[in-house]
Amino acid sequence: MKEYYFLTSSVTTAMKGEKILSSNGFRAFVFRDGAINPYGCGYVIKAVGDRDAMADILKKRGVRINEIREVP
Amino acid sequence: MLYFDNAATTWPKPAEVKSAVFSALIYYGANPGRSGHKMAMETAAQVFKCREKAAAFFGCSELENVVFTKNCTEALNIAIKSAAFGGHCVISDLEHNSVLRPLYDMQLRGEAAFSVAEVDLHDEEQTLANFEHEMRNNTKAVAVTGASNAFGIKPPVLKIAKLAHRYGALFILDAAQTAGSEKYNMEQSEIDILCAPGHKGLLGPMGTGILAAQRPEILKPVLFGGTGSFSLDFAQPQDMPERLESGTLNVPGICGLSAGIEKIASEGETAVAKREMQLAQMIYAELLSMNNVTLFTPFPDEKGFAPVISFVIGDLTGEQTAAALAEKGAAARGGFHCAALAHRKMGTENRGTCRISIGPMNTFDEAMKLVRIIYLAAKEN
Repeated sequence: MKEYYFLTSSVTTAMKGEKILSSNGFRAFVFRDGAINPYGCGYVIKAVGDRDAMADILKKRGVRINEIREVP
Repeated sequence: MLYFDNAATTWPKPAEVKSAVFSALIYYGANPGRSGHKMAMETAAQVFKCREKAAAFFGCSELENVVFTKNCTEALNIAIKSAAFGGHCVISDLEHNSVLRPLYDMQLRGEAAFSVAEVDLHDEEQTLANFEHEMRNNTKAVAVTGASNAFGIKPPVLKIAKLAHRYGALFILDAAQTAGSEKYNMEQSEIDILCAPGHKGLLGPMGTGILAAQRPEILKPVLFGGTGSFSLDFAQPQDMPERLESGTLNVPGICGLSAGIEKIASEGETAVAKREMQLAQMIYAELLSMNNVTLFTPFPDEKGFAPVISFVIGDLTGEQTAAALAEKGAAARGGFHCAALAHRKMGTENRGTCRISIGPMNTFDEAMKLVRIIYLAAKEN
């Protein structure tokens, strides 16, 4: 399974996204790294699973993600 | 001291709330949403939990649309200044100055106009007709209290909200006296913005308030500054809740509020309201039997009233009545209760009233002791 960074604009958005992904069976957690996330707040959701499925769930629940990157 | 000043702030706070505040000062001392170290992340998680609980409690669809403010007044200012700007707003004749004054100021500046609709104490349909009468083509918002802080009278807010929507206006609920004792579901009702204090019926510490929004897109900040996000941008971020939460949050307060919401939610607002109303009815009935006491509202029931009783003793003013009670060890509030409109409506703008307000922590024994104190004070005056 691949790991992804979901780059958010705020800690609230990141934590909401983490909760939604976790409750849908994806392994996810939030951390802060300004180098990874240039979108102002630096909070990142790191999650494991199918990229499109996770992105779709987050979009449906109104969690605004600025960018998704595969963890190198 | 017998504390019956819960409409100003509830006291005492439950042990769970005190413990949560204490824990926050020890374990959650970092600034949430600013850093990535362990304590900052744990603190942010506590704030997130409270936001989540508040959203569930008020039936607000998205937790990020729950904004922490320092009190209900700040929440109302944000809501009113955003929603009424450039148009007209209708309010009731029971509103607190937190609703009246922002609008009065906007009117003076030419930013908005407002009208006051009369709440009929005995006829809900007439109240609705009065509101409808005040609606104009440019009415952008209707702002109404869940219950008068001075007299306990409850306007039919859910019906007024429907009326507001029928005219294309937003509905703002001032839940200062009802959050925690009245069940609200924003998603299932037509409340667009709900403003609540954290330190009254929700049992949190002073310095906490909530704005919950179903229509966040209309909200504009009254305070600008650091949000922990988009730090290099000169403009205020538009994401919720950061748009409206500039500056460091009151984390100890929010943690206490979180515990308070949990306590009220576990008992249920209906049960809290029932218990408070039983005490209010008992006190009211006793006051009614005292010769030297003047009451200003009909016998209270849960549908029409919050557990607030306004009265005076003999020829005393409201302030003097409250002072007479204080001398005997009872805490109540005398005067005009920051409610110019309500006192004008009830004809008490010269004398004021003494307000007894029952809270979730009051007991039957305390109510009996209060009645005895009022009886003695009435006898002496």
